[in-house]
Amino acid sequence: MTARRPHVGTLVVLAVATVLTLGPVVWTLVRAVTPEGQGFSFSAFGDVFDQIDMVRLTLNSALVTGLIVLGQMFTAALAGYVFARLEFRGRGLLFGLVLATMMVPLQVTIVPVFMLIRGMGLSDTLLALILPAVPTAFGTFLMRQYFMTLPPELGEAASIDGAGPFRTFWSVYAPLAAPGLAVVGILAFNYHWNEFFRPLIFSISEENYTLPLGLVTLQGNLGSGSVSTVLAGVVLSMIPAVVVFVFGQRRLREGLTAGIGK
Amino acid sequence: MADMSRRGFLLAAGAGVAGTVAAWPRLTAADVPGRGEDALRVAIMGTAQDAEGRKTIVAEFERRFPGIKVRVQPIQAADWSQFFAKILTMVAAGTPPDVCYVATEGVQLFADRLGEPLDRFVTRDKAVMQEYFSDVHPSLVEAAMYEGSLFQTPIDFNAANVYYNAAAYRRAGLERPADDWSTDDFLAAARKVQQADRSIRPFFWTNRLWGGIVPWLYINDTSFLTESKAPGGRWMWDTFYADDPSSAQRGGGYRWLHSNAQDPRVLESFELLRQMVADGLASSPAQGGGNELVGLFSGGRIAMTPAGGFWAQGLHDGGMKPTDFDVAYFPRWRSQRHQYGAAGNMILKTSKRKDEAWEWVKFNLSQEAMQLALPKPTTTPARRSMVNAAFYAETGPQHWQVFYDTLDRFPTSGPIPAPPQQAAVETALIKNVTAAVTGDPKKALASLDRDLTTALKT
Amino acid sequence: MTTTIPASTAAPTAAAPAEPAHDRRSERLLVWLFLVPTVGGLALFTLLPIAASFVLAFFRWDIITSPEWAGLHNFGDIASDVTVRRAFLNTIGFVIVAVALQLGIALWLAILVQSRLPSWLQSVFRSAFFFPLVLSAASVSLVMAYLFNADFGLVNSILNAVGIPDVQWLSTGSGAVAVVIFVYVWQSFGFSLLLFLGGLASIPTEVYEAAELDGAKGWSRFTKITLPLISPTLLVATVMAVIAALQIFDQPWVLTRGGPGDSTRTAVMMIYQSGFQELQFGRASAIGLVLTALILAATAAQFRLSRRYVFYQ
Repeated sequence: MTARRPHVGTLVVLAVATVLTLGPVVWTLVRAVTPEGQGFSFSAFGDVFDQIDMVRLTLNSALVTGLIVLGQMFTAALAGYVFARLEFRGRGLLFGLVLATMMVPLQVTIVPVFMLIRGMGLSDTLLALILPAVPTAFGTFLMRQYFMTLPPELGEAASIDGAGPFRTFWSVYAPLAAPGLAVVGILAFNYHWNEFFRPLIFSISEENYTLPLGLVTLQGNLGSGSVSTVLAGVVLSMIPAVVVFVFGQRRLREGLTAGIGK
Repeated sequence: MADMSRRGFLLAAGAGVAGTVAAWPRLTAADVPGRGEDALRVAIMGTAQDAEGRKTIVAEFERRFPGIKVRVQPIQAADWSQFFAKILTMVAAGTPPDVCYVATEGVQLFADRLGEPLDRFVTRDKAVMQEYFSDVHPSLVEAAMYEGSLFQTPIDFNAANVYYNAAAYRRAGLERPADDWSTDDFLAAARKVQQADRSIRPFFWTNRLWGGIVPWLYINDTSFLTESKAPGGRWMWDTFYADDPSSAQRGGGYRWLHSNAQDPRVLESFELLRQMVADGLASSPAQGGGNELVGLFSGGRIAMTPAGGFWAQGLHDGGMKPTDFDVAYFPRWRSQRHQYGAAGNMILKTSKRKDEAWEWVKFNLSQEAMQLALPKPTTTPARRSMVNAAFYAETGPQHWQVFYDTLDRFPTSGPIPAPPQQAAVETALIKNVTAAVTGDPKKALASLDRDLTTALKT
Repeated sequence: MTTTIPASTAAPTAAAPAEPAHDRRSERLLVWLFLVPTVGGLALFTLLPIAASFVLAFFRWDIITSPEWAGLHNFGDIASDVTVRRAFLNTIGFVIVAVALQLGIALWLAILVQSRLPSWLQSVFRSAFFFPLVLSAASVSLVMAYLFNADFGLVNSILNAVGIPDVQWLSTGSGAVAVVIFVYVWQSFGFSLLLFLGGLASIPTEVYEAAELDGAKGWSRFTKITLPLISPTLLVATVMAVIAALQIFDQPWVLTRGGPGDSTRTAVMMIYQSGFQELQFGRASAIGLVLTALILAATAAQFRLSRRYVFYQ
């Protein structure tokens, strides 16, 4: 669309919305570096490290999120490809079933999943958070949509050249999967980096806490924590997510549009 | 491009596998010290630092009992009910601790289903226990009993007293409150503070089981639950507290069986707080969420708030000098009955090493271990002999005697009402208090009554 | 071989009859291998737990003592329990209001962003609106709890500055509900906005130009052209938003723990409370089942409605 002169009303609405959206974030940053009764100071950040084990929390969050992201990308690519490109008996039924599980989020089955984890001997471990989150219906759906946008002729050409199904996938489609995978990965990262409910239940020992859980404990026993310390913790935990945001935003927008925006 | 994607794919798969393998001990929590180890497991509420603080006690204990290894497991939680939820989750996960540090809030909850009665151990080690009990107020012990048996051994406690900001008092031209000040005196003081400085909240309170609405109910000689005492317990009082004047009134622990929310005096207490909130004398209590009580108090934005001995160190850390604040009794209304809560060790019924657990519990009651456990006034020691001038020299308050004298002066003071259905009862109370002081108290109390009845039924 | 491909998907061309047998075998193997992680994983971690919920819901079980058959007791119990009922009503009310706001705001802003703006401004706004999405709901709620603190929070200070007295945000039912909805929508509208931007971008400019010649402007342009053309996106955005909103937990948990009263108690919070605070696992499972049924019903209803209103190009 040609960039004609923007409407003043439009600009005002967008500006107000931007202030409302970013205001709390800016306030957080400002308060984190101006602790109560002091001028500008980074002391609150030091307090965060004194009060909670940021290194361990970050490591845990990174491990949990990282492995879920990789696991989801890997399994969703495989299953999405099969659903998009291969014919087999019961495909529609199976795909329907996969989609149906999208409507059963982990939160509502938390009790039986907890029992299952206990039965697997994984209570109070990071694997308890990772394993149930790897199989992804939504990711599979996205990857299927994505693979369907790729021209089928590519695979046929390979087939004619004598490539078997594995080769066709590996040398023709897998190399083209990156944009779709990026979307699955970014969404998984965003969700699981920030996840609160499952860690609240599954992570019992402090050693197995993830960042969001650790931050809430910064509030202190009976609310005795300092505001600036809590906010400094929030700022620190934001950093990786912001990095992913900066590099992934465009990918995500384009990928989502291709996947479900149509 | 194609090749890069594929290489990326392989790289990611490789990273996933390598990461999983390298981090396997972390993923399975095998790297957590003591995990799966054959040790006595002690759960405490707190952080790794708190566990670290007990290292000297553990070392000393292990030196004396070379056969027993102790693993202190810190459980982080925002409050006691979160802590209990975590312990229950551990039980559900099949990994319950042997010993658990539990506050009054959870004594009956645990005693009812998970706790091991300590009676046989206590009577067996009578001499050692006599020394301990002679130094500990019977009110604290009674709160640790359930249906005639002792389930917990108090190590620290906190009664809800009133902390006041000395500067705010001075500005308002107020003297230190008399020991028997009345609610009218309290209100007059709050008004003076308000007139002297509009930006100060005269009374700040938090909506919770301890130090919330309950002290106001207790001084009005009522409570939101009916209160009676279980029979039994004579074995304790006749053996260890025979000389105590209050011994005859003691029983086998408290019973909170029914709702008492419709008692007119409960309404009266709520009306008082409602009026204070409406007049801007008291804050409207928000629940959950963040508040920064220590920061607000030490920053001079609050004049009075209910708190116990645990606050001395917190205010000191918040930058207050010993003379910047002081502590007084809760005001008198129909009575001056105070509310308190105590904490100490319990042994879990599921433990396979109860005798070893008892050795640990007993050791923690010794003068020596308690000195190690409570080096600073972050709480009030259950042993009277430890509440002394030296303990509060660095932090204040000047009238530190108030902490323990509360129990002596008001021997009928009551513990936090916490029946076995504590979680549901606490939720019911907390959720209706705000409505009662900001909205229609009659309606809120009817709803409280209904919620409590439901909670106590199960 | 029966073909069960939906008509809308581009089917691979019919398998060549000359395809060698070993290829067909290895294709079957590939189907198998590729599907096992996802399908097997979903069966283990989603379908099996659902089945287990059905069983657990008929027992009384505190995990310490052995389970006790309870028949329909758990369901009767949650039907008659005012708190549970309130939690479900809250959840449903929350979903309706929050999703409507989320989608409405997102669509409005998406249209504005997509309008005649220089592209650098577009990307500034886009990034700004999307930003809250990368934060964790728990930490956002921590921040918001400070902002909305009635005594010392920034929001009331601002209101005071323009002459509005203190609002008791978190200590009155309506205030707390408003804050929870605000915090949720604040964080979620960016995702819907992202979807809408995609949908809007796929509308060819010529359509608008033609419409302009026909005199369709402003509101009529929105209802006659934009809305029908992005209705498929709207459906996806709505379904996703509803499923997510039905699970609300983090925000009310950190902000209010469900209070004051039961005003911000939600269905997932009841699962947590019953299961892990009160050790009533049968009851928690029953609540989980009811919530699942609610999600299924809501989704089915949306797809049914969509048949009438969604317009595929």
